[in-house]
Formats: sequence, C-alpha cells, structure tokens
Amino acid sequence: MSQLQTRFFTDNKKYSVDDVPFSIPAASEVQELSNVINKLLEAKNGSHSQIEFDFLVRGQFLRTSLSNHMEAEGISTEDVVEIEYVERFTAPQPEECMMHDDWISSVEADSEWILTGSYDKTARIWSLEGKAVMTVAGHTDVVKDVAWVRRDGLTSLLLTASLDQTILLWEWNSERNKLKARHCCRGHAGSVDTIATDPTRTKFCSGSWDKMLKIWSAGTIGLWVVWYSVLNWPTWLNKTEEICSASWDHTIRLWDAETGSVKTTLTGSKVFNHISYSPLCRRLASGSTDRHVRLWDPRSKDGSLVLLSLTSHSGWVTAVKWAPSHEHQLVSGSLDNLVKLWDTRSCKTPLYDVSAHEDKVLCVDWTDSRLMLSGGADNKLYTYRYTACETDAGA
Amino acid sequence: ARPGSVLHPPGPVLHPPGPVLHPPGQALLCTPPTRPGPALYSTHQARPCSVLHPPGQALLCTPPTRPDLVLHLYSTHQARPCTPPALPSQDIRNTVGNIPMEWYQDYPHIGYNLDGKKIFKPIRNKDELDEFLDKMENPDYWRTVHDKTTASDIRLSDEQVDLVHRLQKGQFGDVNFNEYEPSVDFFTNEVMIHPVTNRPQDKRSFIPSLIEKEKVSKLVHAIKMGWIKPRKPKETTPQYYDLWAKEDPNAILGRHKMHVPAPKMRLPGHEESYNPPPEYLLTEEERMAWEQQDAEDRKLPFLPQKHSCLRAVPAFSRFIHERFERCLDLYLCPRQRKMRVNVNPEDLIPKLPKPKDLQPFPTTMSLVYIGHSSLVRSISASPTGQWLVSGSDDCTVRFWEVNTGRCMKTLEVGGAVKSVAWNPNPAVCLVAVCFESTVLLLNPGLGDRLVVSSTDQLITSYEPPEEDKEQAVTWALSEGPEHDNGHRLTLTHPKAVKQVVWHGKGDYLASVMPDNSSNLQVLIHQVSKRRTQNPFRKNKGLVQCVSFHPLRPYFFVATQRYVRVYNLIKQELTKKLMTNCKWISSMAIHPGGDNLICGSYDCRLAWFDLDLSTKPYKMLRHHKKALRGVAYHKHYPLFASGADDGSVIICHGMVYNDLLQNPLIVPVKVLKGHQITHDLGVLDVTFHPTQPWVFSSGADATIRLFT
Repeated sequence: MSQLQTRFFTDNKKYSVDDVPFSIPAASEVQELSNVINKLLEAKNGSHSQIEFDFLVRGQFLRTSLSNHMEAEGISTEDVVEIEYVERFTAPQPEECMMHDDWISSVEADSEWILTGSYDKTARIWSLEGKAVMTVAGHTDVVKDVAWVRRDGLTSLLLTASLDQTILLWEWNSERNKLKARHCCRGHAGSVDTIATDPTRTKFCSGSWDKMLKIWSAGTIGLWVVWYSVLNWPTWLNKTEEICSASWDHTIRLWDAETGSVKTTLTGSKVFNHISYSPLCRRLASGSTDRHVRLWDPRSKDGSLVLLSLTSHSGWVTAVKWAPSHEHQLVSGSLDNLVKLWDTRSCKTPLYDVSAHEDKVLCVDWTDSRLMLSGGADNKLYTYRYTACETDAGA
Repeated sequence: ARPGSVLHPPGPVLHPPGPVLHPPGQALLCTPPTRPGPALYSTHQARPCSVLHPPGQALLCTPPTRPDLVLHLYSTHQARPCTPPALPSQDIRNTVGNIPMEWYQDYPHIGYNLDGKKIFKPIRNKDELDEFLDKMENPDYWRTVHDKTTASDIRLSDEQVDLVHRLQKGQFGDVNFNEYEPSVDFFTNEVMIHPVTNRPQDKRSFIPSLIEKEKVSKLVHAIKMGWIKPRKPKETTPQYYDLWAKEDPNAILGRHKMHVPAPKMRLPGHEESYNPPPEYLLTEEERMAWEQQDAEDRKLPFLPQKHSCLRAVPAFSRFIHERFERCLDLYLCPRQRKMRVNVNPEDLIPKLPKPKDLQPFPTTMSLVYIGHSSLVRSISASPTGQWLVSGSDDCTVRFWEVNTGRCMKTLEVGGAVKSVAWNPNPAVCLVAVCFESTVLLLNPGLGDRLVVSSTDQLITSYEPPEEDKEQAVTWALSEGPEHDNGHRLTLTHPKAVKQVVWHGKGDYLASVMPDNSSNLQVLIHQVSKRRTQNPFRKNKGLVQCVSFHPLRPYFFVATQRYVRVYNLIKQELTKKLMTNCKWISSMAIHPGGDNLICGSYDCRLAWFDLDLSTKPYKMLRHHKKALRGVAYHKHYPLFASGADDGSVIICHGMVYNDLLQNPLIVPVKVLKGHQITHDLGVLDVTFHPTQPWVFSSGADATIRLFT
C-alpha cells in the first residue's frame, strides 16, 4: 500500500489540473502533495509561481500523512481518492499593537475604525493603522461591550455598555472628531455585559447580569421587550426578527424579536461565554467554559444538537467570531492566552495559534478588510493581517 | 449410729447441747460434750428430706428409753420408730397386698393386723458401716435378701437358692419338668379316603369369571394405551455409598487428603550403566570441568564409568550418601498444598457510582485571581455569582469579577483579615469583614445600583431606641472618606474576632471570639436594629466556628471536639455531635439543613446526618494534612474540602428526600494548583452560588477557580 490512486480537483479555475488519476505515495504529506500540484501547474503554465496548497479529503483537512488520515477517517484505500485542494490560508501577520491603560473588554471594528472598550471606564476609537483617534469617556464604571451601530457618511453611531448598568449611544463625527452622547439607556438592574445590533442597524439588544435581555430601538431610544434569562450574550441572526442568546444557565435560546417568545432552546452542559452567528453557513459558534468551541444549527428544533466541537484550547473560550467572508473560518480567544484560527473542516487542530498575548484574551473580532483583532488582559489590542483566498470570499 | 462419733457419713447426728438447725445447704453446727470445739458437718450429705415437712427440716426426737441414744436426727424418709425396738414380732407378713411399697415408705409400719393394730417395720438401724461389717462377717450375707413387702431381711433356704440358680441358668424352676418329651401327632397329614365333607365342585369353578375378565380387559386396555408401563429392570451394577462425596475439601479433615506425592526418583539411564555407550562417557576435559564444578552445579552427581563386565563393577561408594539425601528430601520437604485465599482487591472496594456519571463537578483550574501579597484567609461569593470577596493577611479586602479574574476593588483595613462573608440576601449588598477585634460591614457598591442604595438607606434609617442598653460591642457608623470607601458600620468587639457568618435572611450576623476562659465567645448581631446579644451563659470550650441553620432557627457551635446545636427560639441545647476529631477547623451545613460536614486539623472530614445519629455518618480521610475549609454547594450535590496539602477534594454528596436512604458520598475529584507556602496550602473553599464551580484561596496569596 505504498501508492494510492488519487484524483485532484479544485473549485478555483486558476489552479485547476487535468482530471486524471495520479498514483502518489501513501505516506506523502501536505507539503509533498503541494509540490505535486505545483509541478503539474508549472507543466501546464510556464509562468506559474510556487503556491502553498491545502488538501481536503472528503471535506476534512489533511493534517497528517495521507495514509494515516484515511485510516483515521475510515476511507477505503482501494478506490481512487478524491482530493480537493485549495490555496492555503496564510498565517495572519501581526500588524499593530495598540496599548491601552487597562484590560480590553471588547473590540469591534468596521472597515475604517476600531472601537474598543476597556476596564478603565472608557471606550476608544482607533484607526486601522493603530492610531488613537478618540476616547469615549462617560461611564462611571467598566465598559464591558461596545458596538458600531451605523455610519452615515462621516457621522457614526456607536454604543457602549458598562458595569454601571447603562448603555450609552454616542454620535461621532470622524471628520471633526466630535463626540456627542446621544442617549443613556437605563433599565437594566445589573451590569450590562453585552450588546448586539441587528443587521438593519436600527435596533439593538443588550444582555445583563440581571438575567434580562432587552431590545432597544436605536432610532428612537425606547424599551422594546424584556425577557428573562440568565446573563445573556445575544447575537442577531440575519433575519431581523430573530435573536439568539447564549447564557450562563447552559442554554442557547432563539427568540422571536416581535413577540418576545422563545422559539428554540438548545441545551449545553456548561456555561456559555460567547456566541457568534455566521450568515454564510447559518451556524452558531459558542464558546464555553469547558474549553470547546461548539457549532450549533439554530434551525434544529429538537434541542441539544451539537454539530461539531472544536477542541484545542486549554482554558475557557471567552470569545468566538465567525469570519465575515468565509463560511468555514472562525476565530476564538481563550483564557489560555491564545487566539486560535479555526477551519470547521479541520476540527481537531486549528489552522493557526496566535500567541501574541501575555494574558487572558477577552475579545476577538475581524473585519471585511482582512484584519483580525484580539484584545485581552495584557492591555494590548493586536491586529493581524491575513490574506483571504479570493475564491473563498462570498463562497 | 453411735452418738458422739464425730463423723457419720450418712445421716448426720446432732449432739446434745445446742443443736442448731440451718436452712438446707448450710452447715450444721454441733458441739459434742466431750470435745471443746464445735464440729461442723455439712448437711448436704444428708438425704433428701420428707415431703411432709418443709424441706431442710428434720424430725427431731428423743427416745425416752434409750438414755445412751441422746438425740437422733432422723431424716424422715428413713424414719425409724421412736419407740424402742422391744417387740420385734417375728411373723411379720404382708397384709397390704401387692401395692407399691413406697406408700408405706414414710411410715413406721406396714399394714395392720387382724386386731387393727399397726404392724411395725422391723427396726433397721444398720448404717453402711454395719452393712459392710455384716457383709464381711456374716457367712449368710449373700443369701440374705430384703423383702420390701414386709421390710424385713430374709435368709434364703437351700431350696430357694437352688431355684434361683436354676432360673439364672435359664432352666425351668421345676426340677422334675422334662422339656424334651417326645411329641404326639394329634392330626394326620395323610389324605383320607373319607374326608369330613365330600361336596362336588360348583359349576362356577369351571366357568371363567366375568369379573376377572373385565379386570383383565381393563388392564390390557391400560397397557395398550401406555398407562401401565412395564417395571424398570433393576440396575444390576452395585451402588456404593460415597462417604466422602459431600465432604468439603477445605475442611480440616479434607486438608489431610490434599496429599502431594513425593517426587519419584529418576530411573537409571545409559549413564548409570556399567557399560555405557561411548557418547555418555566423559572426555578428559569434561571430567576436569566436572571435578571443578560445585556439587550443586554438576549435571550428573557421578562420573559414568565403563567396566568390562558386571562382575568388575565395584561397590557404589556414594550409596549411603545418596540414600540419606533422598530421605532428607522426602521428609524435610513440606509436601502440602498451600491454601491461599485469593481475594480480588476490587471486591473489597464498596460499589460506588463512577465519577463521570456524577457530573457536573469542577475538574480543571480555570482562573487564578492574583493580587494579594499574603495568604488569603477567607473568600466569599456574592449571591448572584458575579463577584467574589477575599480577605488576606496583607490587610486588604479585594473584590473580584468572577468570570474574568479582574480585581474590581481593593480596600485597606487596619489588620490581617480573618474572615469575610457576603450577605446571602440578594436584596442587600453588604459584606462583613473581620480583622483584629473589629467586624466591619462594607458596602462594596457592586451589583445593582438600586440594591446598593437601598442597603445604604437601610443602614442610615436606623433610629436609636429610647433607653440605651449596655451592649457587648460598640456600633459605629462610618463617615467621611471611610464611608466613600464603602465602610458602613464598625462593630468593635472586646476581643479578637476570628469568624463572621451571616444568617440566611441576611439580617443577623454571628461573630466568634475564641477564648478559653470566658462565656463571651459568640455574639449575634442584628444589623437592622444594631443590637448585639450574647446567646451563651456558660463556656463550653474554645469555640472554633459557628453557623446558622439555613431554614430553621438553629445555631451550630463547633468547639474543639463537639458540635452543639442550639434552638434559638427555645434557647436550649438540641443536640451534641461527637466528631471523633481532635480539633475541628471548619464546618458547613447542607442547604437542606439535615446534614453537616466538619473538617478537622487531624486530616479528617466528618459527615453527620443529624436525623441519624450524633456520631459521624462517615469519616473521610482523603487529605494528607490538616483540613482548613469545607463547603457545600447550594444546588448541586457537591461538597469540597481544602487542606494544607494544597489540594481541594470535591465529593459528590447526594442527600435524598427519602428518609430511609442514607446520603451517598463519592469522592470525585482532587483539584491541585495551590503551592504550599509555610506549610500551609488551601485556607478556604467556597462554591459558586449557581454554577458547579469551586473557589479556593491559598497561602500562596492566590485564589483559584476550578470549573
């Protein structure tokens, strides 16, 4: 069994090779397979430059030698093996390190600006290049979460939620660099730990230690609906009328934003720290205290159904975030000081471990503009540049 | 009997002066006139006494005509006439007939004569000595028999003796009887030609019987139908009863059968032959090697040798030696089977459920709360589970955010903090801190603003009562910068305070001031009324820790060896629990209120079921060193103990509602993480109020969260 019959294929027309079975050594690993593809492409196209590829056998990334992988996955070695290859996702390159005065509790970036919330009771606005633009001071206690609401030209609306039980809505003009507090949302009887804006950017939802999930209308601030649950981490699904919340009572609940009723309850066994929804693959990713990142299908009605567990962290997973432009990738931050970049097609090992932080990672985010961000208890906000494969964008 | 003789084997005799009679079984004291000292006779040799008299008494009579016989004590069942035997009538005959003679046993007479007078029994005053002398001296003694019917001795005549002999031999009593007389045939065995009846045979004796035919046909039918089966042929093989079939081979007798035969000697082979094949003969080198070897290492104990003929074979010089070794081998080698009891060690372990079936419980260390600079004595979690307070020897109290490990607040107090306790009432935001002789009530300002402000309002709304009673502690309201720091009330105690604990409702607070010599050891404070009372009048020993019952008005006080349960309403001692520990260090009450755990400095943890007994239901000795802290979880069936060996042991402690089912205690996890500093490991443990997480504080100045 030293040779295997394989057939290579790819979705990317640029790198496609002839659909002919090849006989390759069974012990070959990713690097050797990548060389084979590069040789083939060179033979086809003289001007081809060396590219690193990653290989998928039946939807799973190849991480060991081909024979070991097939044995583990229980794939017959008699038939011709179909191997898909994609351009390798290159390691994210550290770009900037933004120093804060205190722990960074939250980060949200859009295409131009980065908004961070910190334990020094302020939020900060940074440019993507790492220049401090604005300090949002107004809370009397730790800022726990921040969010961009919308941008109309140069004015932006942003939200900060704090331990002082209020949420502040700010209006910021980036040209004049003027900040104006528009509203103070009072109503929670506990520290507001998390906020989420809906995709239409007109409403937002906040979760608090008073076991409430509150929906606010961002246009005219007013209390929408109040529900009962334990410390919620809400996230909006792409449809405006659905909210998903992960909670310390070990459940993920799907709420109907119109009526305020629970549509589905997914029950886990451990406390959920964070949840993220990807409109691309329509999956939920949850980070929980048992060190796993779990993927859920919000459409499943019958409760606890874990699609996949991504297991590699050695501490609580404090933050998860789906890639905005890739349906398989997500990033997670953990109390073990690591940020991990995952591809759901390789659930045993992450694509990359980013070990820039010297203390607990508390928040992660990434933007459409190929920037990954992570902040933590070492007062540093790191940004990483990554190159997304063109084909994966919008796939 | 001869009066005056000291020893009379049968029938004791009393001597004239002062006979004293004692109850049966006691001694009989008599003083013979001739002897100075009293002689003591045991009456238990006396015969059983009469039914006519109360037992143990005797018949005492004084025969008037026999002055020499001064006093006779007659046992009534061998009673004799008291009159002198002057008229022994020789023609005593049986006038009573064939009756059981015991009827006259107790009377001096047997029957009556024709005149209606009693016929007296002849006097029998022979004792056994006389009997013996009689036997020795009287040549006719052997032919003298006692006639019970007349109670007289009769000497048998020669004819009578002869008859006895004959009967003993089995012969007929009559000498003239011939038992071998020829027999006479009274009836003939011959067939007579003229029999007594000569009736011809009946017709029915020739005709087959219908009844029989019916019976036979029934039997035939039954055989055909298989109802009647032929008899089984008897087994011809002999059957023997196996005596040892059911014998237990492990019994003592059975062991003797476990005989191991002695190993047999090897039969001689070619090398023993007088003319062995050449390949068995050793070469010169082999011979040299053989000689240099030790006797034990040699393969052969001898050298094979070749002789020309059998006649040339010499005597075997090692014969005696070899036989001797064989004998030694036979009798010194213990040939017995050793009976070993094979106990599977797994069977000795009690059947407990597997820890993985008892999830959830904390398994891994998740967060370390770093900030203190000295050992952290005490921790307490807020009722919501969002905050944690810790008190340390570096004279600070720190407030932590549980899920990030962030220190939110640090408060300096004026001494090493011995104990902290967060008010369990979620509507009040107060933390009790004790250091030196002060108990401080802090408002940390964490959590709901409304709760924080209402707590402040509650404290300021206090109105002092009209008559000011003398209290054991002084209550002081903090003002100025201290108030801004969160200090609210300061309770100055007369002595150093070791522990503070809240009542479940959050209004009452107990503080412990250990002191061996006074009754002022425990104080109960009411925060809303700023009142303090000393519940105990007596000092029952050095108080280690106290606790309130979670539901009922009970108060638990742990002294060095005992835990006392007081009813606060009735003001009485309800129970006293013996812990069997040398020195209690910590105590926790199950949220149901019926169970209690005690940690002690001698490495033990005692679980009490208060309904069951005052003795520990279970003693757990899992820790290597002294226990410092124990805790129950509020909702999950878990309890934890922290010890100086730096480990926290989590046990599953399920309490059932069913009173008949005892609590199930299963150790599930040992959590390690704390470094041992100055021989101290974990100092306090507490559970998260809602999650199956445990906090532990250690001497290494850290607090750790295990999830």
